Amino acid sequence: MEKAKGRTATLFTLAVVTLVAVSLAGVYWGTADLAWDARLKALLRLPDAERHLELIIWEWRLPRVILVALVGAGLALAGVLMQALLRNPLADPYLLGLSSGASAAAAAAIVWLPAAFVATVSLPVLAFAGAMSAFLITLGLSFSPGRGLDRLVLILAGIAVSLFFQSITAFFLHIADPHVTQQALQWLMGSAAGTKWVDLWPLAITVPILIVVAYAFAPMLDAILLGDERATALGIPVNVLRMGFFSAAALLTGLSVAAAGIVGFVGLIVPHMARLLIGAAHKRLIPLSALLGAIVLVVVDLMCRIVLAPKELPLGVLLALLAAPPFVLILRRVRRGV
Amino acid sequence: MASEPILAVSNVSLRKGQALLLDDVSFVLQPGRFYGLLGPNGAGKSSLLKILYRADKASSGSIKLSGQELATIPRRAYASRVGALVQESVSLSGLSLLEVVRLGLLPRRLDPAEIDTRSRAALDDVGLSHRADDDATHLSGGEQQRLFFAQILALAPDLYLLDEPHNHLDLHFQYRLLDLVRQRGATILASFHDMGLAARYCDEVLLVDHGRIVGQGPIANVLSRERLAETYRVDGAFVDGRLEVRGAV
Repeated sequence: MEKAKGRTATLFTLAVVTLVAVSLAGVYWGTADLAWDARLKALLRLPDAERHLELIIWEWRLPRVILVALVGAGLALAGVLMQALLRNPLADPYLLGLSSGASAAAAAAIVWLPAAFVATVSLPVLAFAGAMSAFLITLGLSFSPGRGLDRLVLILAGIAVSLFFQSITAFFLHIADPHVTQQALQWLMGSAAGTKWVDLWPLAITVPILIVVAYAFAPMLDAILLGDERATALGIPVNVLRMGFFSAAALLTGLSVAAAGIVGFVGLIVPHMARLLIGAAHKRLIPLSALLGAIVLVVVDLMCRIVLAPKELPLGVLLALLAAPPFVLILRRVRRGV
Repeated sequence: MASEPILAVSNVSLRKGQALLLDDVSFVLQPGRFYGLLGPNGAGKSSLLKILYRADKASSGSIKLSGQELATIPRRAYASRVGALVQESVSLSGLSLLEVVRLGLLPRRLDPAEIDTRSRAALDDVGLSHRADDDATHLSGGEQQRLFFAQILALAPDLYLLDEPHNHLDLHFQYRLLDLVRQRGATILASFHDMGLAARYCDEVLLVDHGRIVGQGPIANVLSRERLAETYRVDGAFVDGRLEVRGAV
């Protein structure tokens, strides 16, 4: 027992230290080739720091690193919630049709709507609206007044809604001019490039609040792992909890997609990594997953910037490349019933 | 004069689509007694228990716990007085045995030290204390049943609802766990397919058939030769407190 507590404390300390370290690295390194001492001066905002370096670090890199950390933490939390609520270790925040809804809305906006209109409303807002529409359709299809949410129907409805919106995306990409298609594809593959401080607010407010709320409900989420009937017998309002946290997961995913495009796999893989390290009890799983999600995405975003520097790789591309092997390993573990 | 019943079920019916799963069910449970819920497969035992642990809602009728209508009792308050051992198979991947038992105490507001003490004592009761910190993933069916028994023992409710408590258990634990529950002095409503266990433990049984209560009283009186033939479709009779069955009819 004491040993387990010690291990938990060590893991959390390590995760926090790593997050700080990789965030500093993310701010420090990048596509621009800068002298290390000049960078350090700019980072510390010393009086003799070069003005343009300070701008690069404080106005470009720092908001970007914070954004990807928030997206990573948010998607990981959404993944934890989805996997608990569906009692399915392979559930993923995108299962509710959110990413394809956002993609379809973004593709439609880029290809179809006047550029001036898209610029006014802003693409992230449109993508968020698309994600939420898809979520509401999925929910509507799987909810019945007498029986609440059916887990299996929800998964199937999510897949159907995803396929529906994917074909809408494909349609818009097909009819568009090649350079417009290129622009849309770039957005779809995900990137945090060009993030400004003002873009951080939605996630900076939502992610910490929902981490705290989910943490407060951790024992109830644990009880759902024991089965709906058992949880109900323990006095837990399973349907209300499920609706509430599905909405929370949808909000986190929708905001993440709007901010950084489609960033797959974090919501699926990170909760598993955390579970292997620390077990399934949500009081530990929620904070550790959020930390690991932030670490993973900050590292991948940094790699996106430096692997082909000065050219940037899309976030989604590198993440999927790096995430595929662990995904297969997890599948093997699940198949073995470990 | 009889004391106030702990549970009073009046005219409860349950309809799912066209099917009438429970048909005008009425009975009362007196405090401190062990009641068996008997009946063939699909008779409505689990449907009735589900309504009583609030996993389902009756289509009509009234259920009162110590005189208070079920719908007016907050979920948590109800769950702290009525504990259920349910039949639902799940994978317990990633939770330790102790963590699972502790979840059984969610309905009660206890300080962490007491939660720990009670949970460990309950694990000891079901013979799993040496594995308290192990991952519950690899438990066998019987061990999982013992773990959920520990949950309900830690909760120590006023009314135990046990859906086929002997499921997956070896002989030792069938007797050990039912003895333990009986010693608590609480009221118990347990469904059984094992008539030997029902005869040994139940003060009274309720016989359910086609969603209706067709008999209530001491087991040997309720399960008459005619009733056994009609409800269970067997040729048998109670002889010296034991059910002897010649075969199916």
